[in-house]
Amino acid sequence: MTRAGDSSADRPARSRRATADQGAALETLGRSSGPASLILSSLADGAKHGYALTKDIEAFAGVRLAPGTLYEALSRLEAHGMIEAVESHDRRRPYRLTATGAAALSTYLEAQRNVAEVGLRRLAGSWAQT
Amino acid sequence: MMPADDQSTPGAADDPARTAPGSRTHARAADQARARRLLLWYPRCWRSRYGDEFAELLIDERAELGPSWRRTVNIAATGLRARLAAAGLAGHSVDPESAARAGLASMAICAAAAILTGAVMWSQLAIGLQWSVPADSRITQAIDLMSAAMLALAAAALLAGVPAAWAAATAAWRGQGRELIRPAIMFAGGALVMVVGGRHFASAWPGTGGHLLVHQSLIPGKIAAFGWAATMWITSYWAHPSALAAFPAPELAWMALSPAATGCLLTGVAQMLRRVQMSPRMFRYEMCVGHLALAGLAAFLSGALCWLSLSGGETGPLFLAGTIDRAGLAVLAVSVVAGAAAVRMASAAAPCRPTVRDG
Repeated sequence: MTRAGDSSADRPARSRRATADQGAALETLGRSSGPASLILSSLADGAKHGYALTKDIEAFAGVRLAPGTLYEALSRLEAHGMIEAVESHDRRRPYRLTATGAAALSTYLEAQRNVAEVGLRRLAGSWAQT
Repeated sequence: MMPADDQSTPGAADDPARTAPGSRTHARAADQARARRLLLWYPRCWRSRYGDEFAELLIDERAELGPSWRRTVNIAATGLRARLAAAGLAGHSVDPESAARAGLASMAICAAAAILTGAVMWSQLAIGLQWSVPADSRITQAIDLMSAAMLALAAAALLAGVPAAWAAATAAWRGQGRELIRPAIMFAGGALVMVVGGRHFASAWPGTGGHLLVHQSLIPGKIAAFGWAATMWITSYWAHPSALAAFPAPELAWMALSPAATGCLLTGVAQMLRRVQMSPRMFRYEMCVGHLALAGLAAFLSGALCWLSLSGGETGPLFLAGTIDRAGLAVLAVSVVAGAAAVRMASAAAPCRPTVRDG
């Protein structure tokens, strides 16, 4: 069922705008935006608690997030609704990605991929001989 | 003192004593105690939300990597940022609603700190005006600007204080103000001591001549003397104990008592602002008054800066700026900047809050 004004032509544009807004949210985390992208990437394959996040990020990114930095970013992500705490009887509380967080991460990584592709292409063109 | 991730032992995996069954529980308890100490860097609201899981992370980190001063510094830095955020002065808080109220309270504290240090300069200049005229007319204009700013700040304090006091009284009337009792007692006790003591020591000092409106200035002499007596403890005499010892004993007692009374008064105000129930409309009103107070502080700062820059050998001894005045100017500037940050943070948090209430 299609609502008035919900044409297929403007749907992609609206979708792009929505993801752009969510992507902007990741950028507005300020000093935590770098750690936040690593945390969201780590949570993309399932819920993890603080120490598991630290180990996973170290394994795939080669970066060891300090405890204070990790929780500063976690609290911001939680406040922005990008992650949520999972009920746990353990004192180590796991966190999982939300739909908002997934969309924000997707937009952020797409932008990063574009930058990487352009950079690599230009490097290959200008610096391949050297 | 810095709660430290101390260097006394290596990581748990490397320590044979820790592998013994009897000592494992003890080692675990020691790790938990160490983690709890490090948690003290963070504000209470942060600890109640993340404290347990963060402590577990610290224990795991230490077990794997051993002690680390870098980790301690990281925790101290992020903990202090969390404290600034909880005080409504910067960044992101775990509880935005209480951070908005904390921002309002921080603004009040900044304004009070600025008024206190400002009163030290202003009262000596106002008293000086009772007796002579500055050689440079620009100093007179600077003092007039400082006096007008002081008047605006007094008006702002009244405009902000009356509705907050009314809200507190209404809450008490409905039997909902138990958490306001202690701040109210602190405020009333501090204010009583300051008014009684300030009036006594202002009257005992002959410098103002006691005129209501003297010929040199529009500033009532008794108000200037009260400002001087209330801030008598902010003085460079503390650096000269031999000169201080020549003061009469009652004055020394007052110089010791008045800062405590001022601290009680300000703590009471801050706690009251953090706990009193406020509608969003009232909160916005208080924010408007906060902006007015900031404008007053900026005007006072301009006047003080002008006076200090013009002060020199030919301005006359009554208008000569000293070290305490230069230090006061620095405190004033920091207070204005911090107050502006508090108002900005509180204003940003306030509009989307359905209610701003006790916490």
